[in-house]
Amino acid sequence: MWVQEARLPTAEPELYIPKPARILRVRKLTEYENLFDVAFCDGRLLDHAPGQFVQVSVLGIGECPISICSSPTRPGTFEMCIRRVGSVTNHIHRLGEGDILGIRGPLGHGFDVDELHGKDILIVAGGLGLAPVRSLIQYIIDERSRFGEFHILYGAREPKELLFKNDLTVWRERQDVNLHVTVDRPDEQWRGKAGVVTTLFKELPSLNPSETAAVVVGPPVMFKFVVLEVLSRRIPQSNVYCSLERRMKCGIGKCGHCQANNVYVCIDGPVFKYGQLKAMREAVE
Amino acid sequence: MKPKIAIFSLTGCEGCSLAILELEDQLLDILGAVEIVNFREGMTERSWDIDIGFVDGAVSTPEDEKEIIRFRESCKTLVAIGSCACLGGINTLKNYQPEDEYRRYVYGDKAIWFPTIAARALSAVVKVDYELPGCPMIKEEFVRFVKCMLTGRPFELPDYAVCVECKKKGNLCLYEKGVICLGPVTRAGCDAICPSFGSKCEGCRGILGHEALCAAGVNLREQYDVSLDDVLADFRLFGAYQEKDLP
Amino acid sequence: MLDRIIKQSDFMSVVRELSRQRRLVGPVAREDRYFYEVVDEPSKLDLSFNYCVYGPRAFLFPPTETLFTFDQRDGHFEAKPVLDNQPLAFVGVHPCDINAIRLLDHVFAEDHRDEHYLTRRENTLIVGIDCLKPCTEGVFCADMHGNEAKDGFDVMLYRLHEDNDEVVFGVVFGSKAGREWMLYSRACRTPTAMDEREFEEYQRMKAAAFPRRLKTQFEELPALLDRSYDSLLWEATARRCYSCGSCNLSCPTCYCFNIYDEVDMSLDSGARKREWDGCQLEGFAEVAGEHNFRPKTASRLRHRIYRKAKWILEQTGIPGCVGCARCDRACTAKINSVEIYNQLAEEV
Repeated sequence: MWVQEARLPTAEPELYIPKPARILRVRKLTEYENLFDVAFCDGRLLDHAPGQFVQVSVLGIGECPISICSSPTRPGTFEMCIRRVGSVTNHIHRLGEGDILGIRGPLGHGFDVDELHGKDILIVAGGLGLAPVRSLIQYIIDERSRFGEFHILYGAREPKELLFKNDLTVWRERQDVNLHVTVDRPDEQWRGKAGVVTTLFKELPSLNPSETAAVVVGPPVMFKFVVLEVLSRRIPQSNVYCSLERRMKCGIGKCGHCQANNVYVCIDGPVFKYGQLKAMREAVE
Repeated sequence: MKPKIAIFSLTGCEGCSLAILELEDQLLDILGAVEIVNFREGMTERSWDIDIGFVDGAVSTPEDEKEIIRFRESCKTLVAIGSCACLGGINTLKNYQPEDEYRRYVYGDKAIWFPTIAARALSAVVKVDYELPGCPMIKEEFVRFVKCMLTGRPFELPDYAVCVECKKKGNLCLYEKGVICLGPVTRAGCDAICPSFGSKCEGCRGILGHEALCAAGVNLREQYDVSLDDVLADFRLFGAYQEKDLP
Repeated sequence: MLDRIIKQSDFMSVVRELSRQRRLVGPVAREDRYFYEVVDEPSKLDLSFNYCVYGPRAFLFPPTETLFTFDQRDGHFEAKPVLDNQPLAFVGVHPCDINAIRLLDHVFAEDHRDEHYLTRRENTLIVGIDCLKPCTEGVFCADMHGNEAKDGFDVMLYRLHEDNDEVVFGVVFGSKAGREWMLYSRACRTPTAMDEREFEEYQRMKAAAFPRRLKTQFEELPALLDRSYDSLLWEATARRCYSCGSCNLSCPTCYCFNIYDEVDMSLDSGARKREWDGCQLEGFAEVAGEHNFRPKTASRLRHRIYRKAKWILEQTGIPGCVGCARCDRACTAKINSVEIYNQLAEEV
């Protein structure tokens, strides 16, 4: 008789399986955002690039994409800034030290730091956009000698929405970091600048456009105006980087939810060069 | 602490509260996780200290109106179950007929003893926290709802049309047999049970949204030479649309 | 070039042999139409079918499937993958559906290997049956190069002629597994020069039998769409669209899915599952916090057409549409993709 045997899976089918990770510390950042310091239970390191993300699971509730906001130069644990906005994140906010989360990742394309080495860096972040670039900021600070001038412009709607206030204080005190912060709607205690983030561009010294890389991360409304400012400073389009937010469900380029025109944000991004983005009308409109 | 559950009925066939008893296997698990404190179909003792109250039936009599207000005040979370409670249901058919006529038809010379008002969904009278529509209510959805409540998760109804479930089951589309089915504009969650047995969807889970209804208006007139009014007459069966929804 | 010649009755006896080792899936008549179904008895297959209402995708990529089960009782964190390696054989698949499976194969194997799909796929033998003419009105498979399968099958049958009321098939092998299975039967013979001439004639007849329905060449469709992003046609067509997703769900190349968790009554154990999803559904591109990246029906409709005729092709080199017109037949609003392409072609 002709016999053919069933073939077994060719690889360990772990694609969708989260790995347990323990919450080591939870810090409240704002009313809606907490910072979670996490490490894999089996001691494995995350080994990520700045700008990458992970899929965070609460078994029985679901999974959501969260950007990694600590730098790989500070290994051992990794940090995630989580805004409570959906069912998974709301549940995570109820967890505390010692609790277990499921993690898949690191996923996606982060910042290509080799490409940034040697350049002056301008980071412009709006709102929650500071979370994904914080990994890059930490990286640049830890490897400071490999970069030129370092400017950070950060804007939030209100003072109480500013993320990483401790970090902002530390960065501001450093001589080798040029940080400017603004809020759209100042309150009575606010001593800093007021206005949208684009108003901070006048605080910048004259840039050396061809030697500067700009990183723009923030909500869609902010994005377009900041890119206009950046390009008007003659920074080449190939030196402008952005990180997109979409609804990644699988995180590995299959499920289709994060498509923006012809790209899968989860595997082609979330970090893109502006040159790639401008052809993606859904990303820039 | 187990949540205290109550199950109430207004005007309707009480089939939805009976559907809870029909859960059989899962009923015991649910009974282990909650405490039922008020259920006319299933017990004699009553308490009015209630965490989650499920109500089937429509508000169709002055008595119903008083009761639903009392339920609302007694329940931390109020859940409408079934088409009558969520949409008004079959009861709303009377809203399109003269009151004298239908009262005489139903109650004969005793009509005077049975006061009635226009049938309405619970949400037309009180604030409703969740709705589990369907005629009858979908048992699986009820179980999913209870699990959500027990684990503190938000509960959401499917936000897509019956067609999605119908296609997943591999059914032949009723439109291919020349039947106008309400599946494309009706909320899924029923696992397309009617089309799976060859009957058109009659919208017992309610209309998905204004946009879908507008598309239906355009298509039925232009592609099928049917007026939307005729089709909506079907939708009236369960009170799934109200005049204000019309395109 | 043909590899073998086999009579239908002999073919059915090798299918019977196949059914001892694999679950058979093939065209079965139901309600005046054909559907791919699992059959316990090869005689229930009807290889003279015109078309199946849905492609065989559901047997490789089920409408709902479990990715893994989990258990977190007593603080555990345990997740076990669920895979299905039950051997399958599709008997009677038209080139359009074979081409659609080629795309799914690529998508689920590229970058990250999706073992849930691939385990099923690698345990599936595909027996194709070629079409000599369009299976029904409205198809545009010839325009999309979907009506010919050069690979993606284990065995392909060509209906060459009838001999005493019995169909004689020309056989082309597409894989080692297909060859071994066919050669198990002594009934198939080596083709003669006459058979080859008949096969050439078959190809000529086939080429003439498929009308072109698009005004634009397949290769030009991406450029056509490039020029049509801002066309008013999207909005005009969207007025009829219910966003019901029927086009997605009946499409043999659609592979998007949703992921969700289900808990048992214990509330501590359960499963993470995936289910078919569709880019036409309103909530498809919504992120937590309710921002929707494709809130308009028109933008979703455009997205689907771009995926089918441009983006998937550009990303994978494999056509995203095979021209089977199942979307057009499934659309109760009678939105028609051929009409869309042709109207766009008139605009520019």
